[in-house]
Amino acid sequence: MVGSEGTPADARAEAGFVIEAIDITRRYGQVQALSGATLRVRRGEVLALVGDNGAGKSTLTKVICGAVRADSGTLIVAGETIADASVRTLQQRGVETVYQDLALAPDLSVAENLFLGREPLRTGLIGGLIEVLDRRRMREAAEAAMAAAGITTIASVDRPVRELSGGQRQAIAVARAVMWAGTAILMDEPTAALGTRQTDIVYDSIHNAAARGLAVVVVSHDIPRMLSLADRLAVMRHGRTVAVTPASELGLTDVVTQMLGGTVQGAAA
Amino acid sequence: MTHLAPSAARRGVASAVLAAARSTPVGMALIVLALIVLFGILSPDRAFFRISNLSTITLNVAVTMLLAAGITFVLASGEIDLSIGSNVVLSTVVTAQVLVALSGTPDQVRAGEYPTLPLGIAAGTVAGILTGATYGAVNGLLVTRLRINSFIVTLGTLGIGTGLAYVASNGVNVPNVPRVIQTGFGVQRLWGVIPYPVIVVLTLCAGLWFLLRATRFGLRTLAIGSSRDAAERAGIRTARHVMWLFVLMGALAGVAAVLDLTRFGTTNIGGHQTTALAAIAAVVIGGTSLFGGRATIAGSMVASLIPVILATGLVILGVPSFYQLIFVGLILIAAVYVDQRRRERMSA
Repeated sequence: MVGSEGTPADARAEAGFVIEAIDITRRYGQVQALSGATLRVRRGEVLALVGDNGAGKSTLTKVICGAVRADSGTLIVAGETIADASVRTLQQRGVETVYQDLALAPDLSVAENLFLGREPLRTGLIGGLIEVLDRRRMREAAEAAMAAAGITTIASVDRPVRELSGGQRQAIAVARAVMWAGTAILMDEPTAALGTRQTDIVYDSIHNAAARGLAVVVVSHDIPRMLSLADRLAVMRHGRTVAVTPASELGLTDVVTQMLGGTVQGAAA
Repeated sequence: MTHLAPSAARRGVASAVLAAARSTPVGMALIVLALIVLFGILSPDRAFFRISNLSTITLNVAVTMLLAAGITFVLASGEIDLSIGSNVVLSTVVTAQVLVALSGTPDQVRAGEYPTLPLGIAAGTVAGILTGATYGAVNGLLVTRLRINSFIVTLGTLGIGTGLAYVASNGVNVPNVPRVIQTGFGVQRLWGVIPYPVIVVLTLCAGLWFLLRATRFGLRTLAIGSSRDAAERAGIRTARHVMWLFVLMGALAGVAAVLDLTRFGTTNIGGHQTTALAAIAAVVIGGTSLFGGRATIAGSMVASLIPVILATGLVILGVPSFYQLIFVGLILIAAVYVDQRRRERMSA
């Protein structure tokens, strides 16, 4: 990733930004998905990312979590410029993601999904020479994560994800992100497939994560809900962030105006 | 301590037995057992039950069982390898050539003398396994670097491997292979019952079972087969992992080649044309999903017995063994149908 450092380190620390994506561009073939998008998120805040379909919301979150490489721009996490962004490097810096398609392995159990890529090992055979999966630890930690997330409808963490309902799967994906995040959580339409009660549980998780000091970015089309949930709203249009405004200063009409290209007094990019 | 009433305890045991029977490996084992009993009762003088017959069945199935256990990993990851038969043939040729070349001078081996046989055996074994692993690495590189479907890649390398085996051997079986590798190992039996190659295969299969069930490598293999995207987004380097799966499969084909050579005492240039399909059929019948994500080494091992038991049993009963092909085909189709239905039910 190339480009300027953006905000000087001192000012950044003062502002409390832990995620800074600056002037990000990304092209898919003939489509310019991002054309200089910038997003900064503070520790302990919920930032809603809204915009019309194709505005670049999902691509920007995928760049921030390392799932998609930017063509240009700068990504800074907790003050450190990330030179070679990948899912693994971002996870190592505490950035977790709830993808729109949830990114769960349906044939694996709930516990296995929670630990996939970070499986705990114990020294097993031949005097500790061969390391084996610590399934008991996985199971116990998974049960604790389920309880912490308020998920009570899943009978066993040994059940394959394939056997769970859409809402239960969504809850697992959110619980996994909360379990591992140390810096930030990115959520792409986290409640799109959920009923009212399950949506409330997810929003509670978002509040709890922010209260723990995590930065939370929520991509959503549910603007009324975002206005009540988020601290700030970032509006994207044509691959750019066109406005970032405290949610308390906005109404639904203001956000729609920003999305459609109008100007709202007091809003700033 | 909880005390159950006898009837409740019986119900518990019964439901546990029913649940076990529904698991594919146990169900397959019951089918194999039923076939053995059926053929044993129907065969003249209970010939099928003889230890020598059962021992020969295990020897006949050994190579297919090993390859089935290996390809279980490949299928578990959602890939396929059609080239394992030609890999075995090519690796057998290389093993035999190195073995013969290093066991004595050309004149000595022509005269049936092998003064440096241990060196020849060690070098031939290593060369065979390395050939198989390299073959697998080529498959893996083509699949992961060029991103070509593994069905097409291994269909292509199937022909290439067979061609290379013909080129390396000039189209004839490697001459002067020392007979002692057959008489001293390939057809030898521990306590007169368990063939040595079967011991090697069972040991390796136990290791593969452990690898799939208890290690990070096994779990990640299943994860890649279940959802490659999910595995990648969990930070797993899926391309590298798939590459290693093909190398593992190739190395096992190399081991199979060495065992094959010790068993028959000669290369078999025109053989193994249906080996890959037999192994894949056994794996699918045993309960591994053709679509990836779900796999069982035990199921593959048990199911690989079915074609050999059918063939042997039908021969003993005087029925043309061609019927074995029909039965195995029907079982394969039924197994895939059941797997598909199970997935649909679970996803509903």
